[in-house]
Amino acid sequence: MAFVSLSDVCKSYGSVPAVQNFTLEIEKGQFVVLVGPSGCGKSTVLKMIAGLEAITSGEVNIDDRIVNDVDPKDRDIAMVFQNYALYPDKTVYDNMAFGLKMRKVPADEIDERVGAASQILGIGELLERRPAQLSGGQRQRVAVGRVIVRDPKVFLFDEPLSNLDAHLRGRMRKELIKLHKQLGATMIYVTHDQIEAMTMGDVIVVMRDCRIQQFGSPLDVFERPANQFVASFIGAPPMNMIEGRLSLDRSPHLLTGGVSIALPEKMTLPLADYNGGEIVFGIRPQHIGLTPASAKKGDELYGTIGLLEQLGTESAIDLEVGTNALAVNLPPTPGLKEGDQMRIELDFTRAHYFDQRSEGIICHGIDHMTGP
Amino acid sequence: MKHIGNQTALILVLGFFTFVTMVPILWAFLISIKDPIDAFTIPPKIIFDPTIIFHIKVWVELGFWSFLINSVIISLGTVVVSIPIGTLAAYALARIRTRHTRSMLFGLLTIRMFPHILIVIPFFMMARFLHLFDTYLVLILAFVAMNQPFTIWLMRGFFVDIPLELDEAAHIDGCNNWQTFIRVILPVVRPGLVVTTLFSLQLAYNEFLFALVLTGSRTKTLPVAIAGFGGEDISYWSMSAAGAIGISLPILLFVLFMQRHLIRGLTLGAVKG
Repeated sequence: MAFVSLSDVCKSYGSVPAVQNFTLEIEKGQFVVLVGPSGCGKSTVLKMIAGLEAITSGEVNIDDRIVNDVDPKDRDIAMVFQNYALYPDKTVYDNMAFGLKMRKVPADEIDERVGAASQILGIGELLERRPAQLSGGQRQRVAVGRVIVRDPKVFLFDEPLSNLDAHLRGRMRKELIKLHKQLGATMIYVTHDQIEAMTMGDVIVVMRDCRIQQFGSPLDVFERPANQFVASFIGAPPMNMIEGRLSLDRSPHLLTGGVSIALPEKMTLPLADYNGGEIVFGIRPQHIGLTPASAKKGDELYGTIGLLEQLGTESAIDLEVGTNALAVNLPPTPGLKEGDQMRIELDFTRAHYFDQRSEGIICHGIDHMTGP
Repeated sequence: MKHIGNQTALILVLGFFTFVTMVPILWAFLISIKDPIDAFTIPPKIIFDPTIIFHIKVWVELGFWSFLINSVIISLGTVVVSIPIGTLAAYALARIRTRHTRSMLFGLLTIRMFPHILIVIPFFMMARFLHLFDTYLVLILAFVAMNQPFTIWLMRGFFVDIPLELDEAAHIDGCNNWQTFIRVILPVVRPGLVVTTLFSLQLAYNEFLFALVLTGSRTKTLPVAIAGFGGEDISYWSMSAAGAIGISLPILLFVLFMQRHLIRGLTLGAVKG
C-alpha cells in the first residue's frame, strides 16, 4: 500500500473543473514533483492533500487512513507556501515553534527541535528577528524550517522557489535535494519549472488542463514522453515538432515543408499503420548534428542557418529547412555564420513519432533503433 | 535636486494645510481666554489680559465634568460593543466568499448612507416606548447601530490585505478557525484595530444629533451641553469656546498616546512585507 495515495480525485468550482480523475500512488520517502503550466491544477492537488481544499469526489489516503474529511491540523502534514506565509508579528523562533506549541510539545523539546532545524538551515543567528527584517532567501529558509521542526509524515511545497532570483533559486534547489536525502521524508513538490522537476523529483507528474499527462522518473519522462505536450514541456529548449506526411513505399520517409526526411528502415514496422497519413516527428535540439556542406548530394538533408546565438556553453541555431524551422543546439562551435548551408544529421535513436490528431505517442526511436 | 524640490513643496502644502486647520482652533482658544469685549474687537487684539475664568466656570460651575463622564461612558460603551462585533464580521466578510457577501457589504453601506435625521425620530419613539429615554444604553445602541457599517468596512480592508496563505499556514500548524483568528490574524491587524477603535470612539464622542434627541438631564453628553448655553448671555461665545477646547483635550491626548500605532495602522498594507 502506498504511503500517500490519491484515487480518482476530482475538484470543481461550480461547473468549472480544476482537477479531473487524479490517481497517483506515492511511496514512503519519495520526492514527487507535480509540474505543469499555471492553471493546470497542480496547486489544487497539493491543497487537497493538505486539506485546505475540499475534495469534490475521489479519495485521498495518507498512511492507510482516508483523510477526505480530516482537518489539515490532524493530517500530520506541513507545507511551504509560495509567498512563505510567515507570521509577520512573530520572531523567526516563534514562527518555527508555533506549530509545536499548538500541539502542546514541551518547551525544552521545542527548543531542541528549533535549534536542530536552524542549524541544518544555517539560520541560527536569525532566531530573534522578524520576517520583515529578513531577505527573500532567509525567509525561504525559515519557511522550510517551520516544516522541518514539525517532522510531519508528508512535506508539501507549493512553488517555494519561484519568488527567488535565479542564482538563489539554483542554490536553494540543491539544498532542498540535500535536505530530502538527509531527512528521507516523503515530499510532494509543486512547480511550473521543468528544471526543478527534472533535478529534484524521484517521480515527476506532468499535468495539463486538470489532468495528469504522464508520470514516471524524470529521465523516463524525458526519453519517452507520452504526448506532444509532455515532449515540448519537459526539456529546454522545447523539442522540435515537424508535421508531415509519412510514406513507407520503397524506403520510409517524411514529406514536410518541401523536403523529404529519410527515416531509418527499422521504423517501417512500428509506423506501418500510419503509411500515407499525417504524423508529427519530434526531435530535441540537442539531438541534431550539423556539418558544413559545400554541395548537396543524394537524399541527404540540408538547412540554412537563419539565426545564430553563441552562448559560450553552446551554440543555439535556428535552422531553415524547406519551410520548416528547426532549433539546433550544438556544443560551442566557432566559425559558423548566418546564411551558412549545413548538412543535417538527425539522431534517430532519440526521435519520437506522434499521432497528429490525438497528439499521443506512436513510438520512440529509442525502442526500435537500439539492439540488433 | 528634484527630490529636495519635491520635499520643499510637500512641506509648504502641508504647512498651509496645517495653518488652515489650526486657525479656527487657535481662534477658539483665544476667545476662551479673552474678555468677551476683547474677543470680538476688529482688528483682533494681540495684547490682552488672559483669563481662565471661563474655563473654570464651564468645568466647575456648570458641572462639565459630569457631562464628560457621560460622554466617556457612552463612547467607551460604543467601542466595547461595536469593535468586537465589527472585527468578527469584517473577518468573516473578508474570508468567506459567497453570493451574499457582496450584498451584505452593500447593505451595510446603505445603512450608513441614511440621513441621521430620518432615523432619529423613530429612535426617539422607540426609546420612549421601551422606557430607555435618557439612559446610557439607548445612546450606546444608537451609536453602535450607526458605527457598525463603518467599523466593518474599515476592518475588512485590513483583513483583505492579509494573504489567505497565513490562515492556511495557521490551519496546518494546528489552529482551528477561532485560534487562527485570535493567535495569528488579530496580532497582524492590531494597528488597524487601533485606528478603527479611535475613529469609532471619536464618532461616538462627537455625535450631536442623536445625543440631543435621546438624552435628558441625566445622560447629557458634552456636545449637547455646549449647545445648551443660552445665546442671550454676554459670555456665551467665551464659554462655548472654553467648553469646545476642553472637550477636545481627551481626544487629543488619546491620539498622542496612540500615535505610534496610528501611523502604522494608516500605512498598513501599503508596504508589503
